[in-house]
Amino acid sequence: MTTLERQFAQTVAEHKSTIYTVCYMFSQDADEVNDLFQEVLVNLWKGFESFEHRSDIRTWIYRVALNTCISLDRKKKRAAEVRLTMDINLFEDRDEDTKQVDMLHKRISKLQPFDRAIVLLWLENLSYEEIGQIVGITAKNVSVRLFRIREQLKQMSND
Amino acid sequence: MNNENFDLENMRQQMTTLKNKLNQQEIISDRLVRRSMKNEVNTIARRYYIIMAVGLFMVPYGYWCFVILGGLSIFFWIVTSIFMLVCAGATYYTLRKINDPNMMNRNLVEASRRVASAKKFEANWLFFGIPAVVVWFAWFMYEAYQIHGGALSNGFFWGGCIGGIIGAICGLSLNFRTQRQFQEIIDQIEDLTEYDK
Repeated sequence: MTTLERQFAQTVAEHKSTIYTVCYMFSQDADEVNDLFQEVLVNLWKGFESFEHRSDIRTWIYRVALNTCISLDRKKKRAAEVRLTMDINLFEDRDEDTKQVDMLHKRISKLQPFDRAIVLLWLENLSYEEIGQIVGITAKNVSVRLFRIREQLKQMSND
Repeated sequence: MNNENFDLENMRQQMTTLKNKLNQQEIISDRLVRRSMKNEVNTIARRYYIIMAVGLFMVPYGYWCFVILGGLSIFFWIVTSIFMLVCAGATYYTLRKINDPNMMNRNLVEASRRVASAKKFEANWLFFGIPAVVVWFAWFMYEAYQIHGGALSNGFFWGGCIGGIIGAICGLSLNFRTQRQFQEIIDQIEDLTEYDK
């Protein structure tokens, strides 16, 4: 392994749960998560060398992961060559914690992709400025969108 | 906690639960990371490369197939080759837009707008491609009829018509679906950025 490859492997290991969370929120089943995760890793590696640490690495990872999940043509599924190593299946397990996670997944899946991205970033405790930089809108607009998303979620709860 | 914040705050707690669960997992193996580093060309790009290669290959193959084997005119082969090269060029144009290595580093609005416009271009291409294939097929039939007569041409004609109709139906339904899908993304971007205008 070269130094760059080692750095990449380390970065991925450090941010694996962030990448998984994004993929999970944009997937309907475990196979799709696996598929998206691999595609995100490929895109991260493609941009890793040119990433010059001008922005926070976490911001960059969110950007690549969300772009991949929103833009990927889901009809063209790649063969899952290597599986993710998980002892749990968030789509099928039925313990209390997984039920809570599933509830979150169901709520987020009902939102449009960009709203899904915004609420996901907000849930990850990113500031409005950081969310705005990743999505490409102003911080003020982020707060407006979050207000609308909150209204949508309230509506969903009432339904 | 007031009611208005309840949903989002509740979701934050659920997110913490998710993170706790994920932090206890290995999730990725070294093999998966190594494979991603080797696999630089993604699925979409690979498909485009194949289409371009087939388009370019059809130029010499078309000469052998149409001129040497079928006895059709050189002019027919030239026009067919130009059509193939235009197809390869359009594919390259779409590929270049979609496969820009820096595209995924851009913000979501910018990247999605680029992908959506490239995909719409690809879908619109059918509106040129289908009439062009109809004209090409009519010309092909005319030349085949001149050389080989009715019996063989009838086979070509019905085979071509049935194949063409099935292909056109599949192509157009795919086209409308793609158009709708990416128009929705563009509409969402417009809605999202409306406040910033």
